Amino acid sequence: MTLLRRAAVALGIAGVVAAVLRLRGTGGTPPQQGGWRELSGPELQ
Amino acid sequence: MPKANVLLLGAGAVGARAARQLVEADDVARVHIADPNGDRRAAVVRSTGDKARDAGVDGRDVRGRIDAVLLAGPVGTHLAPARDHLRQGRVVVSCSDGVDDAKALLDLGPEAEARGTRVVVGAGFSPGLSDVLVRHAARRFEVVDEVHVARSGTGGPACARAHHKALTGWSMDWRDGGWQQRRSGSGRELCWFPDPLGAQDCYRATLPDPILLVPELPGVDRVTARLAATRRDRLTAHLPMLRRPHPEGLVGAARVEVRGRRQGIQDVVVFGILDRPAVAAGATAALALRWALEGRLPAGAHGLAAIEDSTAFLAALAEVGIKAAVFEGSAV
Repeated sequence: MTLLRRAAVALGIAGVVAAVLRLRGTGGTPPQQGGWRELSGPELQ
Repeated sequence: MPKANVLLLGAGAVGARAARQLVEADDVARVHIADPNGDRRAAVVRSTGDKARDAGVDGRDVRGRIDAVLLAGPVGTHLAPARDHLRQGRVVVSCSDGVDDAKALLDLGPEAEARGTRVVVGAGFSPGLSDVLVRHAARRFEVVDEVHVARSGTGGPACARAHHKALTGWSMDWRDGGWQQRRSGSGRELCWFPDPLGAQDCYRATLPDPILLVPELPGVDRVTARLAATRRDRLTAHLPMLRRPHPEGLVGAARVEVRGRRQGIQDVVVFGILDRPAVAAGATAALALRWALEGRLPAGAHGLAAIEDSTAFLAALAEVGIKAAVFEGSAV
């Protein structure tokens, strides 16, 4: 019984940690320079 | 060349926009609009103008010649009508962004080639316009090594449901000449979309873009597709949608990053588009249909990356206000 309880607690903690890792943070660093420019002129001719 | 009669199946957010683009075109005589929802169909027919006709639930009762069919209904409803109309030698254009739809429609390629007609697959916002951007970027290279597509935002309610579902299941990544299945919702990457959307976290998703792009880019090493999602999207992806989707999504964007080589030098080109996805999808589908009728797309079943003159296609879209952009600077 104790073993089962410990296993359940361990799984619960692992789940919480996994959920936090999955939902927090970002996927990278935004570009530090540059920007968007509409295509125009010779690029569309 | 006689003016074309078009059958539009689906009068939702994308279909309504496509109908408006088609009736504006000089080379289109009639647009027959079919949709199971009678009120919605009547409203679109009424607002589309003199060239529009009510075609009932599925367009089967339309009398007279039909030259092309635009499938703008929900994902999963495209294959059967595509088969029927292809059998009659008509041009078929599908806006579906479903993986199963894309695979099944591409399988119609040999029959379409034999009949000398065209099945255009994934002719919406992304896939669709994003594929044209990939082709436009690929033209700058002698060898294309990698293509990475990302999309943010949704069109109508059916698109929102497909977006919700796409974060479950498996994504198909093309890597080193083979397909790799990766779990949807994994592989977080910060993607930089045109302003004002800016940076958004994007994840692998069940999207058809790689399936449509790989056949058009021989020798490409990697092709991936990602979908922008919030934490709530990911947390609730496996649940039914918690609330009804909006009638139409707000501004969305697509971004393509193409890496390749020219004269032995590696480089990267990033193109993007910012617009209401349903508006851009409707315009793209309508233009793709007209180009397919003119024979400006190859016979068989292809995505829009098969287009040869991407410059003219983008210029035509720019004339109706759908303007692509290029990212200049550090392409992170």
